[in-house]
Amino acid sequence: MAAAKIASGQSAPDIRAPDQASAVVLAPDEIGLAVSAVVRRFGKVVALGGVDLAVRRGELLTLLGPSGSGKTTLLKVIAGFEIPDEGAVFLDGRDVTFATPAKRGVGMVFQNYALFPHMSIADNIAFPLEMRKVARNEARGRVERALKLVDLTGLGERFPRQLSGGQQQRAALARAIVFDPKLLLLDEPFGALDRKLREQMQLEVRRLQQKLGLTAVFVTHDQEEALIMSDRIAVMEQGRIAQLGTPQQVFHHPTSRFVAGFMGESNLIRARLTEPGSAVVEGGPAVRVREAPLGSNREVGLLLRLERPRALGDGEVAENEFPGSVSEVIYLGEAVKYRIRLDAGFEIVVRWPYREAKGALAVGDRLRVGWDRVDAELIEWT
Amino acid sequence: MDVTGSTLREAVAVPKRSSRAWRAHVPWLAFVSPALLFLLVLFVWPVLRLMLASVEGGSFAAYEKALTDGLYVQVLVDTALIAAYVSVICLVLGYPVAHFLSTARAPWPMIGIVFVLLPFWTSILVRTYAWMVLLGRNGIINRLLLEGGIVSSPLPLLNNLTGVLIGMVHVLLPYMIFPLYAVMRRVDPGLLSAAEGLGAPGWQIFRRIYLPLTLPGVLAGVTLTYILSIGFFITPALLGGGKVIMIAVLIESQVRQFLAWDFAAALSVVLLAMTLVVYFGLKRLFRGDLHLA
Repeated sequence: MAAAKIASGQSAPDIRAPDQASAVVLAPDEIGLAVSAVVRRFGKVVALGGVDLAVRRGELLTLLGPSGSGKTTLLKVIAGFEIPDEGAVFLDGRDVTFATPAKRGVGMVFQNYALFPHMSIADNIAFPLEMRKVARNEARGRVERALKLVDLTGLGERFPRQLSGGQQQRAALARAIVFDPKLLLLDEPFGALDRKLREQMQLEVRRLQQKLGLTAVFVTHDQEEALIMSDRIAVMEQGRIAQLGTPQQVFHHPTSRFVAGFMGESNLIRARLTEPGSAVVEGGPAVRVREAPLGSNREVGLLLRLERPRALGDGEVAENEFPGSVSEVIYLGEAVKYRIRLDAGFEIVVRWPYREAKGALAVGDRLRVGWDRVDAELIEWT
Repeated sequence: MDVTGSTLREAVAVPKRSSRAWRAHVPWLAFVSPALLFLLVLFVWPVLRLMLASVEGGSFAAYEKALTDGLYVQVLVDTALIAAYVSVICLVLGYPVAHFLSTARAPWPMIGIVFVLLPFWTSILVRTYAWMVLLGRNGIINRLLLEGGIVSSPLPLLNNLTGVLIGMVHVLLPYMIFPLYAVMRRVDPGLLSAAEGLGAPGWQIFRRIYLPLTLPGVLAGVTLTYILSIGFFITPALLGGGKVIMIAVLIESQVRQFLAWDFAAALSVVLLAMTLVVYFGLKRLFRGDLHLA
């Protein structure tokens, strides 16, 4: 739902977003975490193939990718559970590539929370303080404050198995932040929660991270979660960062078919550039497209989000207009998804808000669909 | 047990249904009855006979002798101590082995388990005689040590406590390793990673996380080895050379040499009582720790 809101609420600026936010230059003292040319191989499998990443202090950066994309390996390298074969990791400017996890001072929330089952919640949260030899009295106060921060006041004496999934999640979070870590790592922490609780926790974690100004790296395979939580998203593909940018950049201006495919449903229309600003769709019709610094005769993909095409009324015009007929209707509640067979010889899928007064279109209805050149993103087909 | 318990209550509360409840248990009873009969005839009855023998003529003189005569009290104390030594040595040796078995990569746990089980394929008597060959004054170990110039005179390894402990630990080690292994396999390695990530050095991870989580295995292993130890006969009899007297050895000699059936029976009941006390004592400790697991 949040994704849809972003998509419809803001119109994308008509400039190409920079491919990589590494183009955004950070001053050295702004950088909380830097990963430089990190390579990690397991036998012949290259889990990480040269990853560069800089995370600003106080920023939440999400590593988004399917399983096997290397996001978890990268997180382990950052936490110190994996030593990279090449490259280096810097925390607050200090080279920690070969430092043990214990020496890094990184707070981590694990997928299954990893709360110690034989300790009370308060003891769990006190554990990192105890390991840092914080005086008992001070530790008690800090544990209380951490419990309050995650809304678990009064539950400190309980044992992990006496808490619900969401409460265990909060306890794990409190344990990860109680010692003021330089960096907070979150490894798919919401995977085990049901949908409603997950949405609530996403927002809570985000608020807490912003309130405390924590530098954080978050790993997920859920694009919606990434859009909700992140300052920036690094989309990972086969051990590399395919695209790095703000949620808006990654969502609206994906730079590859992989990223486009991963960032939610959209139409990807294969076409060939004829001259700057126009292209020919496979099967004949010409379409007007953004001007892009791509040579003519290049194969491109036109990325058209489902909300972008409009149904044109009488007298309405668009830069690209195609008549067609509805071939499938999928009712989604607040919106309806239509598959539309265009007379020009290709199909598009659109998602339009459902208005009760007008009702939904039916299979076979004729209509004119149109979109402007700025509505479609141009992606190299390769 | 719960099922039968609740059915029993039900049967008492609703007499009408009792016959049906009874009938429901008929096949169950039919299946257990051979084993039940076997135990009644060959175990329960002899134990009862033994208990009766210990108070022959209505006198508790045999018990008085067993529990007050310094000589015999010493045997009881020695037995308890030797069992404790054996359990502790098994724990110290077995803990790392079990840890290795539970964490090693693919073929090694299997290979390790075969080696741990290997002693079971040989009779305990044969193994004990083998130790006599190995540990004697002119045994293989002493000869190697002498020839290697490591010692100048043979080490006293046989016919003393050392020999008994070596032999008993050898027999009982698997009983320590397997309960530990079972518990260690269930420890989530993620918890150890989490502890490390939270700043715990290796020994703290062990002390605060791994040891408490494997404590149920430690208690199970100690219970098993201790209970088996206090009733040990062959090993102390052969490797102790008559100098290490454990309660089972004493019982045997009372019967064989002195035909003192009443005294032997009293000692046996004392042994049984010791075993039960240890068992329920450790079980209680267990339960106190159950919330860990």
